Amino acid sequence: MSFNHIVIQNILRDKWTYISYFLSSVFSILVFFFFLITAFHPMMDAINPNSSLGMIMIFCSFIVYIFSFIFIIYSMLAFLKKKTKSLGVFIISGASMKQVQKMVFRENMLIAVVAIITAIVVGLIVSPLFLMIVKNVLQADSFGMYVPVQAIIMTLILFSVLFLIVSKFTTRFIKKEEAVQLLKADVTQEKIIRPTPWKFLLSILVNAVLLLFFKVSPGIIESLGIVYYIILFISLLITIYFVLTQGILFAIRKLQKSTSYYRKTNMLFVSNLQAKGNSHAHIIYLLSILLLAVFVTTSVLYSSYYNVEEDTEAVYPYSFQYISLPDNPIDQEQQDIEFMETTLEQNVGDYDAYQSAFKTDEDRRIGFMSNANFNALGTHQAMTLNDNEYYVVAGNEGRTPSTDTIQDYVDEELQYVGLGEQLILSTGLREVYYVIPDVIYEEINYPEYHVFAYELEEWTEKLDVAEKIESQIMTEPGERLVTSKISLYDTESFIKSIIFFIGFMLSLIFLSAAMSILYFYLQTSMAGEKEKYLGIRKIGLSIKEISSIVTRELSILIFVPFTFAAILLSLVLFSIRDALSPAFFQMTAVGVGIILLLFVLSFFIIRKTYLKKLVE
Amino acid sequence: MSDVLLDVKQLHKEYTGEVNYKALKGIDFQLERNEFVAVMGPSGSGKTTFLNCISTIDNPTNGSITINSKNPYKLNDEKLAKFRRSELGFVFQDFNLVHTLTVEENILLPLTLDAVDVEEMKIRLANIVEFLGIEEIMKKRTFEISGGQKQRAAIARAVIHQPSLLLADEPTGNLDSKSVNSVMTLFQSIHETFNTSILMVTHDAYVASFAERVIFMQDGLLYNEIHRSENKQQFYQEIMDTLTFLGGGHHEF
Repeated sequence: MSFNHIVIQNILRDKWTYISYFLSSVFSILVFFFFLITAFHPMMDAINPNSSLGMIMIFCSFIVYIFSFIFIIYSMLAFLKKKTKSLGVFIISGASMKQVQKMVFRENMLIAVVAIITAIVVGLIVSPLFLMIVKNVLQADSFGMYVPVQAIIMTLILFSVLFLIVSKFTTRFIKKEEAVQLLKADVTQEKIIRPTPWKFLLSILVNAVLLLFFKVSPGIIESLGIVYYIILFISLLITIYFVLTQGILFAIRKLQKSTSYYRKTNMLFVSNLQAKGNSHAHIIYLLSILLLAVFVTTSVLYSSYYNVEEDTEAVYPYSFQYISLPDNPIDQEQQDIEFMETTLEQNVGDYDAYQSAFKTDEDRRIGFMSNANFNALGTHQAMTLNDNEYYVVAGNEGRTPSTDTIQDYVDEELQYVGLGEQLILSTGLREVYYVIPDVIYEEINYPEYHVFAYELEEWTEKLDVAEKIESQIMTEPGERLVTSKISLYDTESFIKSIIFFIGFMLSLIFLSAAMSILYFYLQTSMAGEKEKYLGIRKIGLSIKEISSIVTRELSILIFVPFTFAAILLSLVLFSIRDALSPAFFQMTAVGVGIILLLFVLSFFIIRKTYLKKLVE
Repeated sequence: MSDVLLDVKQLHKEYTGEVNYKALKGIDFQLERNEFVAVMGPSGSGKTTFLNCISTIDNPTNGSITINSKNPYKLNDEKLAKFRRSELGFVFQDFNLVHTLTVEENILLPLTLDAVDVEEMKIRLANIVEFLGIEEIMKKRTFEISGGQKQRAAIARAVIHQPSLLLADEPTGNLDSKSVNSVMTLFQSIHETFNTSILMVTHDAYVASFAERVIFMQDGLLYNEIHRSENKQQFYQEIMDTLTFLGGGHHEF
């Protein structure tokens, strides 16, 4: 009987111990694989890695990989725990520690190899269906089937490395324990939560300092770049961990001191919580993090989808905007305008037309607009300036311009009366527009650009008109600039629907991961719980009382993470409330509500099946 | 009230499965109030099944069991649980202590389930703990104490609500001879002090000799019974003889 023979027999003859570990490994590899299939899709090449969409993709892959890492470490430790007794038997039968480590390592690697292959095969089988759904959801024909060579190679490499590290790392854990402790693993107590006030305070302090940078010196954050965010992310995770474990410990102590501790099933319930404090806390922690991830992806990504119309309008105020530069031939300009107007008349009928102009210092990208020309544009409130006043309008969305460079261009002293953040023309055309009295405007000696703007009703549905016009009239640098919020909206909606889809997938991934962690946890603790309740039932515990204990325990496992994640989410949303629209809160509330519904449903299902298995 | 605490009539138990097996084939048995009875018999004779049926852990196929003029099998789950913890006390070979609780909490468990007043609990706990002499292990967890201590804790839990019937399944099966002696002395003094009736299954003739009456089972039927005379030594000898006759007790050297 060779060493490898023992390894293989260990696995084959104890399938059920290994199966949950195997399945959770397959699951997390599969999740990552699917994500890579989407991320490496040829269509995604069109997305610039430096754009916000590209950043989201990179960030999401990072999160998914970290998540797989934690998930696999978690399931490996849970699995090792289940095996501790048999490891003890090996040791007292004369196996050296080194041999046991070698055995566990080989078992793990064997499972890992099978799991990676299974996941990739399953992934390849399901991927056409998956991509078909993607195609239909996105209504993008380009999202067809392809052979995800890159995704396969990447999954193979990343997970082989991950398993190698995790296996080496976890087998080191066995060394520390004495054989006696291994043998008694099933009767001795699990680790209870220790009070760690200093670590707790320290982690909160570190976090506070990190967050304070936002307020005090954003410069440091900018210079550190992504490193800062990674540090912040990790420190947040650690803090959440301490808040949860210490909070649970505190709650248990409070409960034990309360007078109702000796009433009915309270004692059994609380002592159960305490005895399994550490593993319960870990589950609650993992679920909270996953749920928080679900909430964030849901609210951020879904709502970005929701706001496309307003966002588009904020950067491109007009359905069509035609800017004629001084070098644009005059008959070309007239021909274009005529074409646009006849096309609009034929296809839409009713539209608003605006004519305006501005002078500009091309080098500094500063625009000057007369009060009359300003009022001639249609998307904002008209106003009247006095002779010595000027008004500033932003030229880029979301960037506050300098308000006093106007003084370099005019002789007399002008009075600043205000700043308009809402754009009057397409974003990025000029840095800033200075609206000045008509008389002063006449004196400014810079080339004048003519503006022709058109606004349609129900413009989001006029894509065909936009296409017709843009096929004839195109931007010619130095001569004319044509922009349309209709076609921008179309492009944006497509990108946003990809983001929406990624968000949807991520939240699905995290949600199912949360559920499977809970499932595996309950499954591994089932045998011990069953034995315990059998013992207590003998001395007179009714099924109803068991049910009340189990109900409370399960609701803690399921709803504490939910509440905690919801509180964290609302804290985050509250701190950035100024940047959010009411629609955002609506979407978030709807998303959280749906997940709550899912949780309540699964709570009842889990409770029913768990109880049934417990007392059968 | 009659003097019969436990009345078993024509008790049958059949295990159905791939091979049907009759564990109990019709047992008639009566336990008087304040009586200490040991059940003996070779392995597979149905001792534990018999006890499990009486302790309402197992359902009999046929026959009736009456404890304190109540038929526990006519109760629903909740009432049955209540019945168990008010009328019956259990001591098991493997102790059956809840490992998430301390010794003290384990002992208090039946009282907490009945929502007894905390002050009342303390009084009862103090009494029983003093009686059993286990003050020093009260705050310990179950895996931190020895087998003998575990069984004392289990006994304390079994009698804290002053049951009318104490059921013990091989209570000394996992103990060394010194602990056997002290646990059995404990049973005897509980029997004498609290007037508790005890039904105990054992395979150890020495343990059985603490009882007032020993019944012998074989192949799912009651085979014989002997009563204790004044002399415990002689009683032990009689038990040994019966066991030898049944083919289990005596060893040839």
